[in-house]
Amino acid sequence: MAFLEVENLSVGYHTQKGYLHAVEDVSFSLEEGKSFGFVGESGCGKTTLGMALMRLLPPNGLIRKGRILFDGVDLLQMPDEEMRKIRWQEIAMIFQAAMNALNPVHRVNEQIAEAILTHHASIDKKEAFEQVEALFQLVGIPKDRMRDFPHQYSGGMKQRAVIAMALACKPRLIIADEPTTALDVIVQDQILKEVKNLQKEFGISMIFISHDISIVSDVCHDIGIMYAGKLVEHGSREEVFRKPVHPYTKALLASYPTLTGEKNRLVPIPGETPNLIHPPSGCRFRDRCPSAKAACKIGEAVWIENSPRHKTLCYQCGTDCK
Amino acid sequence: MNNGKETIIELEHIVKRYASRGSFFGARGKEVIALNQISIKILRGEIFGLVGESGSGKTTAGRLIVKLEKPEGGRIYINGSDMAGLKGKALKDFHRKVQMIFQDPYQSLNPQISVFDTISEPLVIHKIGNAKDREDAVWQIMKSVGLSPPDDFVNRYPHQLSGGQRQRVAIARVMVLNPDFVVADEPTSMLDASISAQIFNILLEMRKNFQVTLLFITHSLAAARYLCDRIAVIYRGNMMELGSADQVIQKPKHPYTKALIDAMPKFGLSGKANNNHTLLAVEREAFGHKGCPFFARCRVANKTKCSQERPLLKETNNSHWVACFYAANGDEKGSSKQIMPN
Repeated sequence: MAFLEVENLSVGYHTQKGYLHAVEDVSFSLEEGKSFGFVGESGCGKTTLGMALMRLLPPNGLIRKGRILFDGVDLLQMPDEEMRKIRWQEIAMIFQAAMNALNPVHRVNEQIAEAILTHHASIDKKEAFEQVEALFQLVGIPKDRMRDFPHQYSGGMKQRAVIAMALACKPRLIIADEPTTALDVIVQDQILKEVKNLQKEFGISMIFISHDISIVSDVCHDIGIMYAGKLVEHGSREEVFRKPVHPYTKALLASYPTLTGEKNRLVPIPGETPNLIHPPSGCRFRDRCPSAKAACKIGEAVWIENSPRHKTLCYQCGTDCK
Repeated sequence: MNNGKETIIELEHIVKRYASRGSFFGARGKEVIALNQISIKILRGEIFGLVGESGSGKTTAGRLIVKLEKPEGGRIYINGSDMAGLKGKALKDFHRKVQMIFQDPYQSLNPQISVFDTISEPLVIHKIGNAKDREDAVWQIMKSVGLSPPDDFVNRYPHQLSGGQRQRVAIARVMVLNPDFVVADEPTSMLDASISAQIFNILLEMRKNFQVTLLFITHSLAAARYLCDRIAVIYRGNMMELGSADQVIQKPKHPYTKALIDAMPKFGLSGKANNNHTLLAVEREAFGHKGCPFFARCRVANKTKCSQERPLLKETNNSHWVACFYAANGDEKGSSKQIMPN
């Protein structure tokens, strides 16, 4: 049994216009010490998925079905009280927009010490602050900046502080939701290297959520491509990038400007993402897909196995998607 | 590079400073230099890329060109005449010919104005054509930015549009005036990858069909490589490198450009090729402002020379300009085996 196993997870939101199917039938597994990256465009459900794993959905959110097995225990069946213990101690999160994740009226080191004190009753204040100091050293914030307020930090430093906070209780799984959006390329590169090192050093498993394929391909062992609430392709990063099978994955790769290789004309994906309150029948990508057939409208979803690790969701029963 | 093509916009030793407000209690009036002696010639018909990190002054340069701000020093020429001296009709004409596409289409459109009114407003302001002409012009431009059929869109309001559609409306609003020069300030940074590609291709078509000259401001070297003919890299308001897109990206000479290229995610495996290692892991102390602006973070810098003297922008070969004392020496290290055609 894998360390984290998600089975047929469906999550949605009650909105004024009706029920929105944000994540549908997503299954994946993650081995201990490995990282899994979710890539998709805005509105594809990747953040919802991350929040659902932490059980931190907003009040109108609803996990409709599925199981989240963490070490074999279903997190969705767990009482709130116990979930609260798991959160941060076992599973931590690096939130999108680090500038908003820190409390502006508390000193940074106090905020992180608070996380440690809340979860470990046995640790006294002095010890907690020592741990914070070690964490700051780990993520590369100078010691004399520890007692600063968040507004005195640059964007990259805030992001480092948020990473330190995620590491505070030595979690086994970290969910990083767009940890480097809004940062400059050089800072982004530094943070990603930091994240990779930490992951290796402590054997922390990671779920990495981003809209940027190039970042995910840099950091993760396995990659899942999401489109309109569905996981449409997943596999090792080599297989997904070298031999993409799903038309959406191919289209996404073709729409990305690169620094190396030939300068091909970018092929944008025509059209817009579908409305998820009334999602289309069959394949959700069919309206924008260059190789869509009549079968895509009515077909049953089938997972095609391209290799033992590389799978693609297809509605044409595997005949033509390849 | 310059041969045969006329210059449409020229920046000459532009200096722009902002006085920082200071903190609520603390001292105020510390100056931030947004642009330091920047000189650029943009040729008619080209797409010129201005690449830099946030705070490098790239947006300021764009705002100066469209006259949203005034420089503290230096001059900006349009078609050979000084922009600062424009008055009356000439000024109004300038505002028709030089336009800007803003970064965030969620903020640059008025939520209370329909798509039709948004796009036709510039025509009304500049008193171009009668009502019928304007309607035709709006229809025409909407088709060419991919908002078609226009009937589906004209009566919508910004909140009924997706991000990509909003940015197209913003582009249509600019292009309807048939401008000579457009500043596009990170037009896709708020959009998804697949939508960005649409906008890039629209900009390329605009250049082809309307002969418009573009200044494309971006933080992404990959996007600049795709769109631009020439690229300038700026760092904290200083021009570091200027050359054709191929020169700057395939054979970067400035340590800062090399550091930027190193930092770009390389799609996993494909691009281990250039690892220049020109960035210092820990910033070193810079002594005053005399030296090279990149001194504090540069691995190849000479501690005495680079900290004391500012390197000037020099042509190394074939219209490839670099502001670094060691650019020529660094050549064999940074260049790949590929030889560029032309």
